[in-house]
Amino acid sequence: MRSIELALKDIKQILRDKKSLLFLVLMPLVFTLFMGFAYGQMSQPEDPRLVVGWINLDEGGTLSTALRADLERSEVLRLEETTAEQAGQLVQNGKLAAVLTIPAGFSEKNLDGEVIYLDLLADRATSSGSMAEQAIRAAVVRALSASETARLAADLIHSGGAAVDTATLQQAAEAASRAWAAPALGFTIEKAQGDSQNTAPAGDNPFNQASPGMIVQFAVFGLINSAMLLVLERQNGCLPRLLTTSMSRAEVIAGHLLAMFAVSFLQGLILVLAGQFVFEADYLRQPLATLIVLSALALWAASLGMLIGTLAKGEDQVILYAMAGMFLFSALGGAWFPLEGVGRTFAAIGRWMPSAHAMTGFQNILIRGQGTNSVLLPAAVLLAWAAGCFGLAVWRFQKED
Amino acid sequence: MKTETNAIEVNGLRKNFGKLEAVRGVSFTVQPGEIFSLLGPNGAGKSTTISMLAGLLEPTAGDAAISGYSVKDEPTAAKTALGVVPQEIALYPDLSAYENLMFWGKMYGLRGVELRRRAAEILEMTGLADRQKDRIGTFSGGMKRRVNIGAALLHHPRVVIMDEPTVGIDPQSRRHILDSVKALNQQGMTVLYTTHYMEEAEELSDHIAIMDHGQIIAIGTYAELIQLIGEQTRMDLTVNTDPDIAVRAWENLPGVSKVSRENGAIQTLVQDSNAALPRLFEAASQANVRITGVNIREPNLEAVFLHLTGRALRD
Amino acid sequence: MKILDIALKDLTQSFRSLFAVGMMFAAPLLITGLIYFAFGGLAGGEGGNDLPDLNIVIVNHDRPTGDNPRLGELLVGYLQEESMPDWLVAREMQDETTARAAVDQREAGVALIVPADFSDALLSADHPASLTLVQDPTLSIGPAVLADLVRLFVDGISGARIASEVISEQVQQAGVAVNSADLQDATAAYAAWYAELQRNLHHSGQPILAVRRPAAGGQASEDPIKTILGATMAGMVIFFNFFTGASAAQSILREQEEGTLARLFTTPAPRALILLGKFSAVFVMVLVQAVVLLAASALIFGINWGRPATVALLVSSLSLASTGFGILLLSGMQSLRQSGPVIGGVISGMGMMGGLFTAGMANLPKAFNTVTLFVPQGWAMRGWKLALAGAAPAEVLLTVLVLAGMGLAFFAIGAALFRRRLA
Repeated sequence: MRSIELALKDIKQILRDKKSLLFLVLMPLVFTLFMGFAYGQMSQPEDPRLVVGWINLDEGGTLSTALRADLERSEVLRLEETTAEQAGQLVQNGKLAAVLTIPAGFSEKNLDGEVIYLDLLADRATSSGSMAEQAIRAAVVRALSASETARLAADLIHSGGAAVDTATLQQAAEAASRAWAAPALGFTIEKAQGDSQNTAPAGDNPFNQASPGMIVQFAVFGLINSAMLLVLERQNGCLPRLLTTSMSRAEVIAGHLLAMFAVSFLQGLILVLAGQFVFEADYLRQPLATLIVLSALALWAASLGMLIGTLAKGEDQVILYAMAGMFLFSALGGAWFPLEGVGRTFAAIGRWMPSAHAMTGFQNILIRGQGTNSVLLPAAVLLAWAAGCFGLAVWRFQKED
Repeated sequence: MKTETNAIEVNGLRKNFGKLEAVRGVSFTVQPGEIFSLLGPNGAGKSTTISMLAGLLEPTAGDAAISGYSVKDEPTAAKTALGVVPQEIALYPDLSAYENLMFWGKMYGLRGVELRRRAAEILEMTGLADRQKDRIGTFSGGMKRRVNIGAALLHHPRVVIMDEPTVGIDPQSRRHILDSVKALNQQGMTVLYTTHYMEEAEELSDHIAIMDHGQIIAIGTYAELIQLIGEQTRMDLTVNTDPDIAVRAWENLPGVSKVSRENGAIQTLVQDSNAALPRLFEAASQANVRITGVNIREPNLEAVFLHLTGRALRD
Repeated sequence: MKILDIALKDLTQSFRSLFAVGMMFAAPLLITGLIYFAFGGLAGGEGGNDLPDLNIVIVNHDRPTGDNPRLGELLVGYLQEESMPDWLVAREMQDETTARAAVDQREAGVALIVPADFSDALLSADHPASLTLVQDPTLSIGPAVLADLVRLFVDGISGARIASEVISEQVQQAGVAVNSADLQDATAAYAAWYAELQRNLHHSGQPILAVRRPAAGGQASEDPIKTILGATMAGMVIFFNFFTGASAAQSILREQEEGTLARLFTTPAPRALILLGKFSAVFVMVLVQAVVLLAASALIFGINWGRPATVALLVSSLSLASTGFGILLLSGMQSLRQSGPVIGGVISGMGMMGGLFTAGMANLPKAFNTVTLFVPQGWAMRGWKLALAGAAPAEVLLTVLVLAGMGLAFFAIGAALFRRRLA
């Protein structure tokens, strides 16, 4: 019972401090909004395809015409006429993903068997540049393939004793291009829905990454207040005083842990509800599963808070350790960016992080459309981490004079 | 007014904070080389007066001079002549004792060899030479206080103001500070000392000004102040019932000039303790009050304060 | 001299604080290091994509009719070839239900279902072949790359089919009689040409499709990861510079609470001079921090910050802006306790608005870019992006002037407020 009293005292102190609201609620909400904004496109343009500049110095050429027609069928990009003078600036400013320049005589010389080089201005370091390059390369291959097909046909016709002229080549190239126009392959892409009845693609809402990401990040950062209480208690003499009562160290630890858990859980709950009703992240499609992940996350965050509180020697150190923890766990755990997009080693390390498992738990619910069973393993890992941090904190606490 | 002979001259100093008159026309003079105490309870206006002398607060009216330099018109010169020991420790905890002294010395215009020499002297004087490289934050309270005082003395000020330097410290450290004050004075330094401890004022001071509610209500040597209450004797009594009953029974008795209550005990000033005591007992008996303790005290500043204000010095 | 004494004292105190040093130097380098660690293996070398493993499971129902080749088997073999990226791990499964369950249980990122008529459809022009790709919805990069690889495979086959059909058709139209061996030779010649084309496009030093990167002043880095790192580190320098400016200005509040400020005011040094000394310390700290971070990141991450004159201008104006803003922010605070979270909240919020946390992301909405202009951090970020791209000093002049102007204005207001408060 005294542990509960201690916990209530801690909670009262935290909630009375106005800056708690800032760290616990306001900042996470603002960051969620911002990160969702950055991940997704809040103002969806009418045509989301990449814009690629087109400079054709081979006007009327068979191959350049076929290449243009192929690119205009693309689902990835659309063409916009531009000039060589403007090309560099437009790509650099991001207004164009790339600029393709077809040199003069491209069609004629290619059909004659000459090697003609095409110029593509693109920044491969950007995703748009990279995607544009891939799509253009595939179209160029098809165009060159049509040219090669025409030449092979011409060779065979010529070897059969018939006359071959430019018109023959062009005709053959056009026939091959028309054949390429009919798609040979279609993809049906399904996103695994788990046991969700929702047929709409769940992964398209950018807040399905941003909301759980910020819940995880600020679960760590938010425990600054709780850890601070421990430090201040030690500094202002209240902890030694507490230990002069008949309260055991174990009870003291339990009381503080309970308070930290309650605060962290409450924070997570507020953010989940905000995610549900403001950002349309459907946590409540699996309320039990969400509750399990939230509880496990809060317990791990609380035990981490305990550890920081026992390690830090002053308020400054609490902030330093909490921020370092936030950066490390958030980045490594996929709260800032999906681990799919990082290097292999980074991802391998990241997958051991408790934050990664918290993200997995939430995303199993939000994006994969799965149920309670899918969160049991992530919750177990979080609890294991919680036990580890808590054990260290207790050991440290017991060592204190 | 620039009287060269006075270390401190205060003339009609006033300070208002809105409607609150914290200091209401205070005037006094401190001679060079003397220890002058400002004695009064908490809230009397001592610290506000000191703050005006130290240049922290601007007087609402009146003026003061330190070694002849007006605090209003020549603040820099006045501050150069003054060393201030604040009531609270005002040092940098993450700097060492030596670093603190070096810094404060520079703030008083000391440089180079002279500064280093002075810092070393202060460290010797405070007995902290072997801890000079340690951070102030690691010092005990008493050690911090010594450095706190030392930092005010680096520039050989002609006048030192010490604002309640012994509040909240252990008796040993307190003794050390009082001895230091005397030692400084013996070296020729003028000390303006504020306190609410009567015994400190009594022990240290050449002159004492008693302050209450923003005004000086008495000023003089210890002997002169005691004379204010004449031959009166102070008697402290305890009773077995509500002291107010006894107060009402005694306050109009002949030979009893003052009766007041302090923390459950009753203080009286009487002309003649031998004559007054039986009357007190009789009046108590008539009021069904039993006297449980009597303490007859020699006249002191506490009695003076009681005589002047009707209240105890320690409220 | 007293200004220097006060500034030096403040600097000594700051650099003795583990927290201050941590936040000034370690934190920005750590975060950038994390980004480097995260993305460093990507886009390096020959388009090498060191992505985390993508496990794919293939269910091959392909049952070609007649003499049609088993293209489904070829596809499986193609995806299991050694030439495939290391991170792509393909294995076969027998049935679709098991494959879907593997995706659900995150044992596989993608299940590729090859229908029974895959080969037949691919080899006839009647209707397109169809593949079903069941993917983990949290993935996007891996499945997209897989789809591209499969299209490449299909294009290779389609090309051969189209070549064969068109050659045959053209020959017939020309009225020339050729035998099937000749047609097969032509198809084989096409296949050889196609293979050579792929080698040229992906492995040649002179590909037919030459990709050029736009550059400013010829200073742009050819290493994409350094571009990301440069922008990220710039964001961190700016963020922590403003944080340090505000934290350093906290010393005024700290001294006020500890009583040393009042003590300073009892010394002969004028109050204005005392405040100036403290403000100078703030400026020196942010300047030193910026210089150290730029140097350290150049050494550790190989970031080329651009032309020295441009960098010098930006460092100076950034330091002015950070100092001024820190002083202004703290002039409104009543206590040290209050100032801590306010600093954290305000600086983080302004950092977000200024685009510091999305520095490495491309294709942000236009409205977002406009918002950045409202805060000094946004201007600073613009300036540093230009510097990283090799801009000359004249090209960053507007940014520098705006930053410096903001800094001076903040400083003037903040200093006035402090003077009034401490008068």
